[in-house]
Amino acid sequence: MIVVGAGPGGSVAAKVAAESGLKTVFFERGRKPGEKNSSGCGLGPRMWREFPEMMKKLTPEVAPSLRKAACVVNHYLNKDMEEIAIEMYYPTESVTYEPAKSFITMNCYRSEFDPWIAGIAVEAGAELRTSVLIKDLVKDDKGKVIGVQTEKGEKVYGKVIIGADGVISTVAIKSGLNPRWRPDQITLVPQYDFSADRKKIDQMYGPDGLLADAADGIWYGTNFPAAYQVIFGDGFHIGLGSWMGQWTANPISFLNKLVSCKPFQRMIKAIDAKPREVQTHLLPWTQEPVRTYTDNVMLIGDAGGFPCPLEAEGVFPAMETGKLAAETAIKCIADGDTSKQALKLYEEKWKKASVGIEFQAGESMQTLWRHLMFSTQSEENSMEWFIPLWHELRGGFYDWSEPHIVRLRQIIKKAQEYLPQAMTFFSKYMMPVLTDAMGDQISLMPQLMKLMEGMRPRPKKK
Amino acid sequence: MKIELEKISEHVGDTGDFIKLNVDKCVGCGNCALVCVMNLWLMRGGKAQLKDDYTQKCLECAACYSVCDVGAIDFSYPAGGTGVVFLKG
Ligand SMILES: Cc1cc2nc3c(=O)[nH]c(=O)nc-3n(C[C@H](O)[C@H](O)[C@H](O)COP(=O)(O)OP(=O)(O)OC[C@H]3O[C@@H](n4cnc5c(N)ncnc54)[C@H](O)[C@@H]3O)c2cc1C
Repeated sequence: MIVVGAGPGGSVAAKVAAESGLKTVFFERGRKPGEKNSSGCGLGPRMWREFPEMMKKLTPEVAPSLRKAACVVNHYLNKDMEEIAIEMYYPTESVTYEPAKSFITMNCYRSEFDPWIAGIAVEAGAELRTSVLIKDLVKDDKGKVIGVQTEKGEKVYGKVIIGADGVISTVAIKSGLNPRWRPDQITLVPQYDFSADRKKIDQMYGPDGLLADAADGIWYGTNFPAAYQVIFGDGFHIGLGSWMGQWTANPISFLNKLVSCKPFQRMIKAIDAKPREVQTHLLPWTQEPVRTYTDNVMLIGDAGGFPCPLEAEGVFPAMETGKLAAETAIKCIADGDTSKQALKLYEEKWKKASVGIEFQAGESMQTLWRHLMFSTQSEENSMEWFIPLWHELRGGFYDWSEPHIVRLRQIIKKAQEYLPQAMTFFSKYMMPVLTDAMGDQISLMPQLMKLMEGMRPRPKKK
Repeated sequence: MKIELEKISEHVGDTGDFIKLNVDKCVGCGNCALVCVMNLWLMRGGKAQLKDDYTQKCLECAACYSVCDVGAIDFSYPAGGTGVVFLKG
């Protein structure tokens, strides 16, 4: 089996295949895995649920940058880039398993994570070839893919070729599975890494810090697409993205606007942070994966468009599809049939798995997000009403500027100004998500209606 | 806050040319220049033009290639083991 790409997807595929005894080689264009990749990089808890043995081994000894983010901090900025609200969220009571009850993400640099996970595949017996760029696929006279060709012209043959080569996937392009992305299927994500004082990070975001373990952040604003902050041992990432056709100015200018604003500068100062690296990467963010298999070929992870449609979590989906593709390859090679018909098994597997379930609501989820925090460069800028409305509703009442009853009237009056936009948004973008979640007899709704009936105004006591 | 991007990115080795513009196809829309974080595209005489030293600065994101509606930009990754290196990706 041949795997192109030693990211999280490729490495898991190589590990699973090699473990079963398949002769497996995986190629990486970087001098070592990870050095070409940029990512948040917050690792989701499903990785620990699905790959418990492996993830147990991801410790600070092998990944010194590791930091737990038990909590997400939401920062809301108004149109003048002033911070008007902060909220913190730990996992809620309805979360069902450990370690998802204990953290939102585990944060670890790709320069540590990717070599670590590739090492596990090598330990399992896979051969890793670095500094090798795969330029083309080798095809037989019927046009079926039977191998890969390096930039130096070397041909390597395999029974199954797995495209784990990320968003600009040579395997996807040359096999015809995905010759080109549409602009609404991929986002461009510029990101800064900041170095910071480890002790000061701990004082603020460490387990005993002021904001205990709040090592993930989202910055919402009305004039930049929402930005994520991921905090590591001795630094943090801040990045933001949007779909290719949506940029109205240089993408980095939006990030610069954010890092220059006062609230951000306060945070930088508090932990003594300095810009350390700039990275830019494309990220598929689609309503559904592309065609993911053909004769002798399967696409996994970003190459297949698997990041989740709502928030584009992509590391876990890459690993899960890597495992499923390798399992498919093992069975089909053993059966002596790796044709397109046989490899359909891969699609059947991923549709039933966690990633596939996610895409059952792919269209409604992706559309919702696109029209909320990523609408800031469009005429329909939803953040212009969402942020002030949220601010009013969540924070307006606890205010001593007037008698509370007067405050309530003021809040209701203000909220009513935003209501037409909010209601339109709700029916256009929220209802489809709720319908996907609850089916067509949205069972919550009748209960809500009943509650509302009981909510008629009470006759006033004299 | 002024951040000098070139000072906080690292490149290694001889990449060779890996981005090519087909000038005949270019319609001068400026999409590539708009999205290039490192500002490696200029608009000259109604056509895009790639800066000479792009191989030393490019972050290899392929945004230019992806936004070129007329397919005038040919992009392939640089030679294995060369080009941008992310130490804290
Ligand atoms: C800025 C940013 C932030 C993100 N944040 C998060 C996050 O916080 N959490 C999360 O879960 N996901 C996040 N994602 C998504 C996640 O990074 C990806 O979905 C994930 O890395 C996909 O894994 P992969 O193995 O499919 O591909 P990749 O990680 O892209 O790996 C592909 C590998 O193939 C190599 N390669 C490519 N072409 C060739 C070739 N022709 N020959 C040889 N080698 C080749 C590359 O060098 C690379 O190592 C983020 C993405 C971006 C861009």
